[in-house]
Order: sequence, then structure tokens, then C-alpha cells
Amino acid sequence: MKFECGDLERALANSDLFPEAREHLKTCAVCRREYRLWNDISSVARELHEEWDTPALWPTIRQAIEAERKPERIWWKQRKTWAAAALAIAIVVPVGLWRHSVATAPAARTQSSTPDFLTERALREVEKSEAAYRQSIARLSQLAAPKLSEPSSPEVANEKERLALLDSAIAETRASVASNRFNIRLQTALADLYRQKQETLRDLLSHDAKN
Amino acid sequence: MWEIGLPLPFAASLPEHPTETELAEACRRGQVRAFEHLYRVHSARMKSLAFHLLGSRADAEDTVQEAFLKVCRAARGFEGNSSLSTWIYRILINCCYDTIRKKQRLAENAAPAEFRAESNVTLKVALERALSALNERQRMVFLLFEVEGLRHSEIAAILEVPEGTSRSWLFEAKCQLKRMLTGAPK
Repeated sequence: MKFECGDLERALANSDLFPEAREHLKTCAVCRREYRLWNDISSVARELHEEWDTPALWPTIRQAIEAERKPERIWWKQRKTWAAAALAIAIVVPVGLWRHSVATAPAARTQSSTPDFLTERALREVEKSEAAYRQSIARLSQLAAPKLSEPSSPEVANEKERLALLDSAIAETRASVASNRFNIRLQTALADLYRQKQETLRDLLSHDAKN
Repeated sequence: MWEIGLPLPFAASLPEHPTETELAEACRRGQVRAFEHLYRVHSARMKSLAFHLLGSRADAEDTVQEAFLKVCRAARGFEGNSSLSTWIYRILINCCYDTIRKKQRLAENAAPAEFRAESNVTLKVALERALSALNERQRMVFLLFEVEGLRHSEIAAILEVPEGTSRSWLFEAKCQLKRMLTGAPK
């Protein structure tokens, strides 16, 4: 087959030029220039890679990620608010019913009741639940202790950090509760944190059992 | 579980050299450190690719930022059907196209010009100008393969085309560029 100038492009489709093409390049200056340009395009293209410093870019992206998560945190808080509202209703409705029954009951029964009795009783219930949570958590912590002291896998490290975070949040909320024991919102938040800690410990142990 | 509500510094630790699986899992969990790792590994190439597609460093940075935010938003649903890097580049390219559409840059940049590599114009400059006149797919494959050094297998995964198609588009792109740079007719 006779190789002609018009065949060069077709020949370039193969990474290695076939012998006829190479022979033709030896004698044709135009094709030789084109062939050099073909290779130069690839080598010069590598120089087009553009690099520049952007020290502020990652912090900006990180900030944007945080900003995007904030609405989700608010939603999470709102869910807790709804839970607190539900709890408040659960307490307020019986109080209303009780007051109504007190108003219609004989005088002797009214004299024996104290106005804060139900709130005190509710608080005692909450404190009893807290004690139960604490006992359950103490048992789970005991079971999880060997797992937590091992060299960490990424999952365990994750759970450890979560537990540390929950412990600090629990300590902080307990301090607030100590100065405001009747605050339903704080008590609900504390109960929620205990529940989260209990679940985290259970997850850790169930993960251990699976492995 | 998505770590909503946990302050970012408390996000779980990530090995220094995580495997693809570890990284994907950490991304699904929404760990910022995983995204930071992806940023460290891919941002230089992503910025360069975005720069060539958009024509400005500022736009490239904005688009890389947008791409990372999309990656974070979508990470929980990442199924691992492709590699993380493939997925990220696909998102970046879509973000670049969104930016191009928004700014109508494509029409402005595609103005026909004389691309002959004259003595006073270096081949690099001439090539940069010629690139903007290639069609979308040719330019994309040329940038990914020749400029950013990706393999045809990676490009094929990003663009969701067979590997042979990627090779063929690159060949078309180079022929086109050669013609433009020598002033040869199409």
C-alpha cells in the first residue's frame, strides 16, 4: 500500500505508527511537522494543568457545611420541643382534671391536698427514671469497658468520641437541672441524653456481638 | 448514622490513609474529616479542570466549593456503584455546566478565532485558545486525559461512556486541535 500525506491522520489513531507511515515521514517535511505537532499537543497540554494556592477555600467549604447543618440541628431541637410539649400536656391535663375533681369534692378532701403535690410527685417519677437510666448505663458501661479499652477500630473510635460528648452534655445538663429541678424542658433534655448514651452503649455491644 | 448535632471537631477519627471503603463509609456518616481528606486529594485537579471549563479562577473556586457541598449533601446516599473520585468528578462537571449555563459563558468563549500557531504566540497559548473551540465532549476528554492525566477507564466511568468512546473522542479532539493549529481545513 502506498502511503500518502492524506493517510497521516488515520495512521495517528494507532499509538505506534506503522512502518509505511514512518518511511513516509522520513521524506515528507509537511507530515513530519504535523506529526511533531501531534506529539507536542500532548506534551504542552500537561503544562496547561493550572495550580494555585487557595488557603481560604477549605475553611469556606467547611463553614458552608456547618451552616447547612444548622437548620437540621434546629429541626432536631424542634423535635425535642415537641416531645417536651407532649410531656407538658401529659402533666397539665391530669392536673386540670384533678383540680376539677378537687373543686367538686367535699371540703375534707380539699383540706388534705397540697397545691404542689402532683408536681412534686411528677418530679419524683422523673428522678426515679433518671436513677433507673443511670443504673442501666452503669451496667452497660461495665460490659462495654473491655471493648472501649481495646485499640480502636474507626467505629469504636467514633462511639468513644460520641460517648465523651454525651458525658460532657449530661454533666452540663445535670448542673442546670440541679439549679432548676422543676424545669420540664431541662429534665426532658437530660432524659434524652441518657437515652442516647444508653443506645450508643447498646450499639457498641451489639456491634461487638456481631463481630 | 449522620452526625447531625455533633460539633464538627467531635467527628470520629479517620485513618491517615483510609481505604476507599473507609472513606466512603465516613462520608456516608457525614464526617467532615472524610470530606477534608477528599479535598486534600482531589481539589488541585478539580480546580484546574473547573478553571479550564469556566475560564476563571474565581469561578473555578466557587464551583469546587459548590461541588463539595453537593458531595456532602448526597454522601449519605452514595451507594458505591462507582469510585468516590469518579462520583466527585461527575458532580464537579455537572456543577461546571450549571455555572456555564448560568453565565452563558459558552457562547462568549466559543467565538471563532484564528488559531494558527504563529511565531509570536506560543503553542501553549494557541492550544488554550483552540481548546475553547472544541465541542463539549472533545474538550472534556482532552482536559481529563491530556491535561489532568486521568486514565481512559476513569474518564469512561466519569462520563458514563464506554472506554473506546473516550479514546475515540480524544482522537477526534486531537485531530481537531491539530487542524486548528496548522490552519488546515476541517
